[in-house]
Amino acid sequence: MSSASNPGILTLSDISFSYAGGKPFINNLSLSVGVGEFIGLLGANGSGKSTMLKLGSGLLKPSSGKVMLWGKPLREYQNRDRAKLISYLPQTLDITVPFTVRELVGMGLYPYDIPPAITTDDALDMVGLSDKADSRLSDLSGGERRRTFIAMTLLQGAGLLLLDEPLANLDIKYQIELMRLIRKLRDERNISVVMALHDINIALQFEKVLLIKNGEILGIGRPADILTEGLITEAFDVNVKIIRHSEGKAYISYENNFS
Amino acid sequence: MKLRIFIIVLICAFTFFASLLLGPSVINPFTMDETAREILFEIRAPRILVACLMGMALGASGAVLQGILRNPLADPYILGISSGASLLAAAGIIGGITLFGSFTIPVLAFTGALLTGGIVGAMGWKRGGLWPERLLLAGVGLSFLFSAMLMLIMSIASDEGLRRAMLWIFGDLSMSEWSRIPYGLAFVAAGIVISGSRAKALNALILGDEFAHSLGFSPHRERVLLFISVGLMTSASVSLGGMIGFIGLLIPHIMRFFLGSDSKILIPASALGGGTLLCIADLISRSLLPPMELPAGIVTAIIGAPYFLYLLRRKNVLSI
Repeated sequence: MSSASNPGILTLSDISFSYAGGKPFINNLSLSVGVGEFIGLLGANGSGKSTMLKLGSGLLKPSSGKVMLWGKPLREYQNRDRAKLISYLPQTLDITVPFTVRELVGMGLYPYDIPPAITTDDALDMVGLSDKADSRLSDLSGGERRRTFIAMTLLQGAGLLLLDEPLANLDIKYQIELMRLIRKLRDERNISVVMALHDINIALQFEKVLLIKNGEILGIGRPADILTEGLITEAFDVNVKIIRHSEGKAYISYENNFS
Repeated sequence: MKLRIFIIVLICAFTFFASLLLGPSVINPFTMDETAREILFEIRAPRILVACLMGMALGASGAVLQGILRNPLADPYILGISSGASLLAAAGIIGGITLFGSFTIPVLAFTGALLTGGIVGAMGWKRGGLWPERLLLAGVGLSFLFSAMLMLIMSIASDEGLRRAMLWIFGDLSMSEWSRIPYGLAFVAAGIVISGSRAKALNALILGDEFAHSLGFSPHRERVLLFISVGLMTSASVSLGGMIGFIGLLIPHIMRFFLGSDSKILIPASALGGGTLLCIADLISRSLLPPMELPAGIVTAIIGAPYFLYLLRRKNVLSI
């Protein structure tokens, strides 16, 4: 939770949500995202991670509870004003569209009549894609494609990024590269990031982790406090073991489930 | 890019003027007699303007529809608008209806098109939004229904009525006259202006509703506006000269190949390309076997299909 000195950009209070009259998918969930926070959203498939991000971005409307952005109800914002404050990157990144990298990144300026100080070239430079500006999206590697979309959200200039599994289907190298990039951008631009992910070991790299199961929060706090053997077992329904290196760093092993 | 746009504008302008001067008789603009002047201003000019308007409407509609339906196979006729127009127009031709004088068939076609567009829109609407899959399925379903009804009417029609209805359905520009241009221009211009002004939203919708929302658009509202623009353009086009196949499918793909997928460029470029292709097809259709005229719709398909198949072999071309 954000502290009094770090007021919440986005606050979800007692949110519930169900799809098309079904049983509640998100249940009385509350979360506050403070300025510059870097939050990992962890949970099994179908636990409600993506739904929670969609509720936070205004893409879905909660059946009960409040979503506040900078202290004002999210639904009271004009679409374009909201887009200047929150950027949501969905999990499915369509790659068949033959936009060039420059065209796609440039879409980040759509909410603006007067472009902000940052330019498309700046955004491409920040994600290291200046030399690919005129390439078509479909000609890029998976990692480059993700970086392109990150550049688009950067150009959008929002202070809060809601990223739905940006590391999914990427090789370890690209996962590390993208994590470094997102963290660097957070540090340089003091933006807040909430990121859904699957890899428990990568979740250890976050400053704050939210563990979710069946639309309810199992725990929220520092990874060391939340990513315990008991809570992970409860969230994912597998046995895990936390192994600590001599220098104190931990990683989570689940190999004993295979035998 | 600017050079490519310039070349396309140049080709379009050249085709327009060439279509005016060429045909079964070649007109020299510097030595025109009274007959040549009459052919030029009373026959060719309105006909070529109608061809331009229809082609522009179909090209731009195709670019918009492929985007909002996120389907590279979409064309303006996929929503059943043309089937509804054809049904009423054929009924008018075969039934000998003359309610609005020479405007009877265009008015009937336009009414049929708008009614069909309205029904497709209503069926595509659910939970406060316009859904691409529902639109597509409703359009295909209605298209089948209206085509069957059209066949039924045609199967009981007289030979002369049948021939005239067939000519209209395959795209008949021979009835073009100046009086049709103002309303055609108004609806086509309105459609191009609406869709052109929503080009950024269309780009975002091509990426998906979630992106469109994140970039500050209301996906359903934008789809409604774009759907209205397509409805206006397609209805105007069908009522001006019947069904001209292939332009709405082919032209956006050709333009995408040369100019990329950015709708801000693609919509006006597809309009220009559509107008150009139909002018060329019309020139061929009236010049190939004079005094007989081939339906322009058949010529566009004969020119377009091989090029479309050629494009099919090129990487990244047949996508939205």
